[in-house]
Amino acid sequence: MSLTDLIYLSQKSLRSNILRSVLTSLGIIIGVSSVITMISIGTGARLEVEQQIERFGSNNLILRAQSSNSRGVSMGNNSVNSLTLKDMEALKNELPAIAAIAPRVSLSTQIIANGNNWLATVTGSTNDYFELGNWKFEIGREFQEDETISGSRVAIIGKTVQKNLFGEDSPIDEVIRINKVPFTVIGLLEAKGGTAWADLDDTIIVPLKTAKQRLVAKKFPGDQIRSMTINVSSSDLLFKTEADIDTVMRKLHKISANGNPDFVIRNYAQFLNARQESSRVMSILLATVAGISLIVGGIGIMNIMLVTVTERTKEIGVCMSVGAKKRDVLLQFLIESLMISLIGGCLGIALGLGVIFGVSEYFNWKMSLDYMSLVLSFVFSSSIGVIFGFYPARKAASLNPIDALRYE
Amino acid sequence: MINISSISKEYVMGDNKLLALNNVDVSIKEGEFVSIMGSSGSGKSTLMNIIGCLDVPSNGDYFFRENNISKFSSNKLAELRNKDIGFIFQNFNLLPRLNALENVILPLLYSGKSSKERTKLALLALENVGLKDRTHHRPNQLSGGQQQRVSIARAIAGTPKLILADEPTGALDSNTSLEIMKILNDLNKTGITIVLVTHEDDIAKYGSRIIRMKDGKIIEDKKNVPH
Repeated sequence: MSLTDLIYLSQKSLRSNILRSVLTSLGIIIGVSSVITMISIGTGARLEVEQQIERFGSNNLILRAQSSNSRGVSMGNNSVNSLTLKDMEALKNELPAIAAIAPRVSLSTQIIANGNNWLATVTGSTNDYFELGNWKFEIGREFQEDETISGSRVAIIGKTVQKNLFGEDSPIDEVIRINKVPFTVIGLLEAKGGTAWADLDDTIIVPLKTAKQRLVAKKFPGDQIRSMTINVSSSDLLFKTEADIDTVMRKLHKISANGNPDFVIRNYAQFLNARQESSRVMSILLATVAGISLIVGGIGIMNIMLVTVTERTKEIGVCMSVGAKKRDVLLQFLIESLMISLIGGCLGIALGLGVIFGVSEYFNWKMSLDYMSLVLSFVFSSSIGVIFGFYPARKAASLNPIDALRYE
Repeated sequence: MINISSISKEYVMGDNKLLALNNVDVSIKEGEFVSIMGSSGSGKSTLMNIIGCLDVPSNGDYFFRENNISKFSSNKLAELRNKDIGFIFQNFNLLPRLNALENVILPLLYSGKSSKERTKLALLALENVGLKDRTHHRPNQLSGGQQQRVSIARAIAGTPKLILADEPTGALDSNTSLEIMKILNDLNKTGITIVLVTHEDDIAKYGSRIIRMKDGKIIEDKKNVPH
């Protein structure tokens, strides 16, 4: 008996009881959709972490001023910007693990250019800012040394700012007014895309000195800065350096080891690890659900196949009387359970795709469909069908023709 | 064609042993039309099942066309049933999900014939029993007589040498019974050997030889002139 004939007969008997066939495959449906969702969440999380590293640069720590609290009361604005360029020099000198530091001051303000208005975040920093933040130039250039020293009114803008002020036109050599001060655009950054929290391309960078003199003189007087991005030479040193910075900063700011610091150190690696960990937990959870429902689904298939074999005992007898061999009967029932589990597999893939689509659409989770997971689902569900269908099929095949024929 | 020498069939039911066949000798020649008669429990069905290779004897030898069937594996028996033997049952035993044509094709599926040849043979068999216009009806859309004719078509589709009919008219009214017996008679005239099990005298009289059984033994074996 050829495979096509077997498949034809199997689909015939499955179709005679569609509801039962679908209900039987329910366990497989849930199992397979969990497998697909699980793998998508895993790959999605991994990709997101990779993208985050791509965006923010790897091995970076961010040191930021923080209002120190005394007995739960904020000491007010003046104590906020306690971070200075002196701190930066001291850190550079004391900690050889630090490869580079980009200082930063910032304000959110009105930009006017080309007859358009736009609110953007303006950052004052050095050329290190671009390298550490993984920024690339679409057109234009970085700051030149004399511009940095003299505090020239030059600006490098992000993609979102360009779109809102100039549309698709090149912004190079155009004049934009930041807080009424005219600046000449010398560079345009490549787009990075948004994150869940902010549009990174909605940015303007000007030389640190220019910003401090002309834009934030009141907010960051003297050599105060808002934050610094600290690049550590190797990822192995990241956590040690974080601790060292804490020690050095406490010494510089004369804060005891258990006192409230007036600064905070952000470690992106830590954040990304936490994120990866939570999606790993989610994946383990789903893998458990998938495993259990696949096994339960397999048992469901076995159960129904045993019922089917009993129901069709007489039919098996008829087939044997007209010449069906044990092998024919065995294959017939194996293919039936294989088909049930494959139907379950297909429906499960459809359900899984629906879940992936729904979750990524409504919860804004990053999920990525892996074609391997589709292959894996097929392998999973078909092996479940064969494994759990084997016992009932063998039971059918080992029937004695005359007993089967007489069965009522 | 069939040579049975001193076969017995024993069933164990709990503590009791039931001797369904007790030292039976019988031989059937090619082209014969044999009716086996007897009351229920006489062993006639057991004998037929053994002749049809559905069951194996506990003792004794069974030669079918010079082959000692007692030594055959279940696969070889299945092959033999497929190629040389056709069965007709009292309650037709058609598969409800398949239409008439597919039911007739069923034995041909197991014989490894090409799909084209299978359909050709099955259509021919259905034509021979006068059901050419009912090929796509399911069993539940056919009358009892038509269903029995489908099962005859299924039995003859593989051009067997021997047809075994177990009470073929048991579930049919007398007019339909006559039709069925006429078909069997015609098949016998083409050279096919027929073994018929029945408890009705009228039906048994179609045979050229009538065997009577009782308590697992043959008590009478005589020639008959069919009417």
